[in-house]
Amino acid sequence: MIFDLSLIADSIPKMLAGIGITFQLMALSAFLGLILAVILLLMRISGKWYLSWPAQVHIYVFRGTPILVQIFIIYYGFPQFEFIRESIFWPILREPFGCAVVALSLNTGAYVSEILRGGVLGVDRGVLEAGSALGLSARHKFIYLTTPIAARLALPAYSNDFISLMKATSLASTITLMDMTGIARTIVAQTFAPYEIFISLAIIYMVLTWGIQKTFGRIEKYLSRYVKP
Amino acid sequence: MDAVTGWWDDYFWGSMVVLQVFIFSLLLMVLFGLIGAAAKLSDNRVAQKISAAYTVIFRGTPEILVILLLYFGSAIFLTSVAQVFNPEIKFVDVPPMWAGTFAIALIVGSYATETFRGAFLGVKPGSIEAARALGMSNLQTFVFIRIPEMWRLALPAFGNHMLSLIKDTALISIIGLNETFFVAKQAIGTTGEPFTMYIVVGAIYLGFSTIITLTVMGLEKFGLRTTEGAR
Amino acid sequence: MTNSASETLIEMQNVDKFFGTFQALKNINLEVKRGEKIVVCGPSGSGKSTMIRCINRLEKHDQGHIIIAGKELTDDVKDIDAVRREVGMVFQSFNLFPHMTIVKNLMLAQRLVRKINKVEARETAMHFLERVKIAEQAEKYPVQLSGGQQQRVAIARALCMKPEIILFDEPTSALDPEMINEVLEVMTDLAKEGMTMICVTHEMGFARSVADRVIFMDAGEIVEEAEPEEFFKNPRNERTKKFLSQILTH
Ligand SMILES: Nc1ncnc2c1ncn2[C@@H]1O[C@H](COP(=O)(O)OP(=O)(O)OP(=O)(O)O)[C@@H](O)[C@H]1O
Ligand SMILES: [Mg+2]
Repeated sequence: MIFDLSLIADSIPKMLAGIGITFQLMALSAFLGLILAVILLLMRISGKWYLSWPAQVHIYVFRGTPILVQIFIIYYGFPQFEFIRESIFWPILREPFGCAVVALSLNTGAYVSEILRGGVLGVDRGVLEAGSALGLSARHKFIYLTTPIAARLALPAYSNDFISLMKATSLASTITLMDMTGIARTIVAQTFAPYEIFISLAIIYMVLTWGIQKTFGRIEKYLSRYVKP
Repeated sequence: MDAVTGWWDDYFWGSMVVLQVFIFSLLLMVLFGLIGAAAKLSDNRVAQKISAAYTVIFRGTPEILVILLLYFGSAIFLTSVAQVFNPEIKFVDVPPMWAGTFAIALIVGSYATETFRGAFLGVKPGSIEAARALGMSNLQTFVFIRIPEMWRLALPAFGNHMLSLIKDTALISIIGLNETFFVAKQAIGTTGEPFTMYIVVGAIYLGFSTIITLTVMGLEKFGLRTTEGAR
Repeated sequence: MTNSASETLIEMQNVDKFFGTFQALKNINLEVKRGEKIVVCGPSGSGKSTMIRCINRLEKHDQGHIIIAGKELTDDVKDIDAVRREVGMVFQSFNLFPHMTIVKNLMLAQRLVRKINKVEARETAMHFLERVKIAEQAEKYPVQLSGGQQQRVAIARALCMKPEIILFDEPTSALDPEMINEVLEVMTDLAKEGMTMICVTHEMGFARSVADRVIFMDAGEIVEEAEPEEFFKNPRNERTKKFLSQILTH
């Protein structure tokens, strides 16, 4: 089998035209997902069943089902209902981009919330007791002790989830969105050259993964200045 | 929900396809994971490099891309091979089930490689030495000490790999596997109720995930009991 | 608050504490006056930590009364906060805030609890760091310090809050032998300055030279309470004798 190099040279710029959408999906969903994750976490550790229970259900459902199903339910499923079509959210849910962001945020929020919870549970109890003994309120302890320490502990797992999210943006191509994967699939349908196109695209994604890993590695190193002498 | 009546048996057979893909990909995933881990742990530089490349590639590429590549790629490859023998052949069709099973096993296997490697290294040298001191042979030590201990260490991560596998089967519908997604699409065509039909798909996957989670929890308890008893 | 020497700062009356069905403290009665130094000893699991943790409400007692500087510890959060402001605590495992520099460790509670401004908080912090002879480490992180240095920082951190009382829970038992003295020295200095202290420790030399009273606990009870001279020379209780013989022959 011979690789058609000119085809690769032709298609890479075409696919890269979709990198903007990939980045937008990733950044927006990561941001909204993180907010959701913090809210879910606070609900879970609130100690109130009527808050912690819905949070647990959300986490259970979104971690227990494929993202593809979640995307399809939101994009194809929601318009089944009149009240959604008439709601203020319709401008978002009408567009594949909006649906992808909503689905990815809800999904990553569930995972990240569990990651953050792991961080919070990992905070040394003695440190919090020292805070209590100094008279810090529960809120102050959470803000000044638990949050920074837990964030540091959660970072490696968070970085992995960020990579999963980046990869998951490719699923937006299943609801007609022209991200890099969407464009690649169109090109393959026209040229029937899956090797050339998909392998080049895989390399682009690997570079992105590498970039994310490097970035988080930097942040981790900076935050770890207090961990090792 | 009335619309679902009449589609239950289709959903059931769709679920059986999911189950079948899951079981075969699970076996393959364990195989890939073990080979990958063995290569990483071996003294052979080339094997180490190949295994490292394997994990980097399959962890850095979107799952859907791997599936598409394996499906269309293998079709083209097999077609060109077949044409060598019989130029009349226009196209060899690869069953999406096999391409998909293979693809998701490769993907999750790349994660399992790390799990197995970590579990192997996590076994305390003390227990191995103790077994030797008791006069156990290499093989006996491996079978009775190392494997159970590795198993216990790997179980939580292994549970997550199984969840990844079951959820990744959904992606195979993209290349045309006749599983629950396919049923939902057909049902939507006649009933016009996409929400209902996809919720059923979600519920089926949630059911599978729950069974896996509960099984792993049970096994973990069992594993804990045996190790505590041994102390 | 008056400063008379005979003022009672800590009063525990018939205090019981349960963990589930297990009784960790049995009918504890203790009175500590301003400026007194108490050393608490006893075998592992005898309830020493539990007792002093009840004093600043890290544990909640189930029965009896605990009155600190005139305030009774109840579920009232205001009273708990007030008591914690008067009571400093030093832990066996230092428990410094790992993500903050030494000086920030000392400033945090001053700023948040005492509402002191940044400049003043830093001044106070540096003052106490100098007193524990560690001012040059102010900008380092806790992990960069030795155990003995960390424990001295922890003492300085407690002092920054200007407490009336300091509780020590085995402050030297996590330290390498060569570092124990630097911490004991700081504690001895504090004692000389008239700080009210309750100290769980098995450092009997320290008990002899510093303590006004030594308390021996076993199985959740205060078994014996005496001046150090008396305590070491003529222990009355059999359990005390046995404990002392074990600890002193080491
Ligand atoms: N949070 C807890 N839950 C249940 N039991 C506890 C708890 N904290 C302490 N205990 C029990 O209470 C008893 C007294 O514990 P405590 O820590 O006060 O002992 P100690 O005298 O300080 O011992 P050590 O010298 O080991 O520090 C022990 O039997 C311990 O197991
Ligand atoms: Mg103790």
